[in-house]
Amino acid sequence: MPKGAKQWLSAGLSLVVPGLGQAAAGALQRGVTILATVVVLAGLTVFTAAQRARFPEEAYGLAALVLARLLLAALALIGVVYGLLRAAVLRRLPRPEDPLQARLVNAGFVGLLVLVFSLAGPTLVRWALTGEDASRTLYTTVLLIMAALLAALWWWNVRDARAVAAARAAQAPSPGWDGFIALVLLGTLVLGTRIVGIDLPKAIREYRETGRILGDIIWPWRAAFDYEATELRATALVQAPCPPGESGPPVNQPKAGEPWVVVTPTCGDLSVRDTKGKLQYGTLLHIRGGGFVPGKVVKIKWENPIGNAFTPRGLGPTEIEVGPDGTFESQLYIPDVVIPSFAQGPQIHKLHAVQPGALKFTGQLSREMKLALQAMLESVMIGLMATVVGMVWALPLSFLAARNLMFSLRTSPQGLVGGVLGLALGAAVGWWLAARLGQAVGGLERAPITVAVVFFTLVLGGALLGFRWFSRALDRAAAHLPGWANAAIRYAGFAAIGAALGWPLGLGYAHGILGIAWDPAEVAAAAPGLARLGAGLGALAFLYLAHRWGNEHPVPIGKLIYTATRTVLNVVRSIEPLIWGLVGVIWVGLGPFAGFIALTIHTIAALGKLYSEAIESIRPGPIEAIQSTGANRLQTIMFAVLPQVLPHFTAFSLYRWDINVRMSTVIGLVGGGGIGFLLIQWIRQVQYEHAGLAVWLIAITVSTLDFVSASIRKRLV
Amino acid sequence: MLRVEHLTKVYETGTVALKDVSFTVEEGEFLVIIGLSGSGKSTLLRSINRLIEPTEGRIVWNDIDITALDEAGLRRVRRKIGFVFQEFNLVDRLSVLTNVLAGRLGYTNPWWSLLYYFPPEDHRRALEALEQVGLADRAHHRGSELSGGQKQRVGIARALVQNPEMLLADEPVASLDPVLAHSIMGYLERLNQERGITILCSLHYLDLVQRYATRVIGLREGRLVYEGTREDIRHMTDAEFKQIYGEEAQRLGG
Repeated sequence: MPKGAKQWLSAGLSLVVPGLGQAAAGALQRGVTILATVVVLAGLTVFTAAQRARFPEEAYGLAALVLARLLLAALALIGVVYGLLRAAVLRRLPRPEDPLQARLVNAGFVGLLVLVFSLAGPTLVRWALTGEDASRTLYTTVLLIMAALLAALWWWNVRDARAVAAARAAQAPSPGWDGFIALVLLGTLVLGTRIVGIDLPKAIREYRETGRILGDIIWPWRAAFDYEATELRATALVQAPCPPGESGPPVNQPKAGEPWVVVTPTCGDLSVRDTKGKLQYGTLLHIRGGGFVPGKVVKIKWENPIGNAFTPRGLGPTEIEVGPDGTFESQLYIPDVVIPSFAQGPQIHKLHAVQPGALKFTGQLSREMKLALQAMLESVMIGLMATVVGMVWALPLSFLAARNLMFSLRTSPQGLVGGVLGLALGAAVGWWLAARLGQAVGGLERAPITVAVVFFTLVLGGALLGFRWFSRALDRAAAHLPGWANAAIRYAGFAAIGAALGWPLGLGYAHGILGIAWDPAEVAAAAPGLARLGAGLGALAFLYLAHRWGNEHPVPIGKLIYTATRTVLNVVRSIEPLIWGLVGVIWVGLGPFAGFIALTIHTIAALGKLYSEAIESIRPGPIEAIQSTGANRLQTIMFAVLPQVLPHFTAFSLYRWDINVRMSTVIGLVGGGGIGFLLIQWIRQVQYEHAGLAVWLIAITVSTLDFVSASIRKRLV
Repeated sequence: MLRVEHLTKVYETGTVALKDVSFTVEEGEFLVIIGLSGSGKSTLLRSINRLIEPTEGRIVWNDIDITALDEAGLRRVRRKIGFVFQEFNLVDRLSVLTNVLAGRLGYTNPWWSLLYYFPPEDHRRALEALEQVGLADRAHHRGSELSGGQKQRVGIARALVQNPEMLLADEPVASLDPVLAHSIMGYLERLNQERGITILCSLHYLDLVQRYATRVIGLREGRLVYEGTREDIRHMTDAEFKQIYGEEAQRLGG
């Protein structure tokens, strides 16, 4: 084969199937990556096309479309020119120390540019297209970009296949990924902008209307206090409906020196809204008033016979300016008040003329402010309690999750058998004892806490002691027993362990996996068989292990415990406190207790991990030193581990308290009590000023705690 | 008497740190182990009190097979073997006194240790040991407040309160300046001569070896390549020197 033919072959293969050429040249992983990326990008392009089809055709002027395309082209050109310039500059520079780093820097710059470009691009297109909604056109643009990227990636892949083949032939390192990374980054960002719906013009447009609400939130302090309202008020009585022969209440007489209002007539018909929602006016009232402050507004309010006051709309002016002599005149149709048919006697309404006066500051906190302060205290307490309880639980767990303490723990296979046996026996004995004791103190209904604590302590304690005693006993006995006896213990014990693990797995498979599609009766029939099968398979697997390990192979039991603990901690930690909050609310109902449960669960996992990492980072020297004095494990922890980690533990706990208080302010959003509960309530009731108070209190409290905990932590570590 | 028989240590990474090392140490000897960094000196010393589990071979001390001991037995043996470290390995956040008291942990009921409690008798021993190394006035300072030489003296005091019959010292003076080095080695020599404590000590500097050792063994790449008395060190040939320190090594001063 002529020189270079292999390279062209690779390029040709990649032209047909992206990545195939690379794979053929020996770079299998590279080929797979490229193929996967091209498939994903093609999929996203199809997705974009589908999105585009959802929007109706738009008719835009050719000029606007051309302008939009030109703008995008200009932006793209800037990007290309920039990239070329940077490449030229890099080429001129003396070779940098680390070519990979230089490449990454370059990719970073291009990526930044691409980000700006992809953010600004669609926005500018919309701006060019008269600011109307132009979804289809926008998607057309995105689709074009995606297709172009796909084509570029394909082309890059063909070139890359050739380069890889050449590099392999010359036994040189494979070429870089710069182009690939840039293309993929570009595609992701362009698509990301569309999916997230980043829309700058909207943000700017809407801001004007939001300004007032934002103002309430930004400076809500008027709502923190109570004010006494001094207002001028006059009231007139009106009877409606007006039965024949009645003339209504007597007409008011103006009085000197106080506000007055006179309404004529005092008896009339209500307005009525017909079935089509059209208003038919009732009697027109003539309103005269006086004794008010000149130049200010009088508001007209209507109060129906059962005492509900409202401002009548569309029936006449409701805000009238008072003349220089303190009087005013106006007209109003009697509003469309629904009087139930069973109402008896004359229906007397009230018309109020109200002139709000100056508000007087009382210095008293408003009801809402008091509520917010209480809720804030509740939040801080939720955070504090969750931290303290979380610490207590995280402490023992962290030791189990510390690599440097656990990995040295090993036992003989016989020790493991004894340990598992002891664990089961101890737990069973503990359970039996606890059940007796629980009955004695009155059972779960009468003494739930006592019973729970008794069960927890006895079962866990029994399991631990059983594990310890039996694993030691068998470990020690193994040294004196003949080989065949040890082998017997090993095989029998391992088979039992395997069966014990396999049984629930079989059951789980029956109910969990088959149960999805099968009828419950069928599952119930199949379950025992599958459980036996699981147990059998488990026993076989463990028998093989027992055979492979032999009598002498130490079992890395510490590693097993470490892995199990870490896995549980990581899973629990990866679920956000807000979601645990939902669990808490389902469990114990709305309120701070639910929030406490949520934060505690998350804190145990988070602190467990932080603590265990603190333990892992301690100096190993003192541990060796303490061990070599003949100290046992407990003493080593007390003298070599704890003194080293306590400052870190304290610092982490303070930090966690800080986070917990912050989290407890939002845990209320899902019903977990504290100030978040009030906040979401006020936002939903459109009471933005009060919501603003809550936000301010949160900000003040959290930043204060932040500062305090940071300064304490600085002193500790 | 300590007998090390065919000791081999292979780490999990596959590194062979010791290969078939055998030697004997009589009671009251001051045995110095020499060799380059990484020749297995630390592994050897740590294998003797099983800070490191040997892969093969036996270590027999006063007719007790240390390698076969269970946890409780190991605890009883360890408390009779002091260990002095290159990096001192004090617990910085505990007081000097507590650091020394920690030497009594092997004799203390572990439940007492939950409260950091030691009997008055142990306090007396600890203060006495501190006095012997000249640091009684520092008893209530934190470990971190001491200088390097002082830390090592605390390390020796910690080993002393164990009432040891043997002392393992892993390059005890490598982190100290030459004057301090002689002072620390002086303490070890006194323990060896006045109390008859057997000492196994790894060292870097040959002048220290000639001054303090009663017997010397040399390790190279995990193998025992040299065995001799103090006299033999003085008359060590170039060939022997190169056998321990490698072909490229240069002897300074002669």
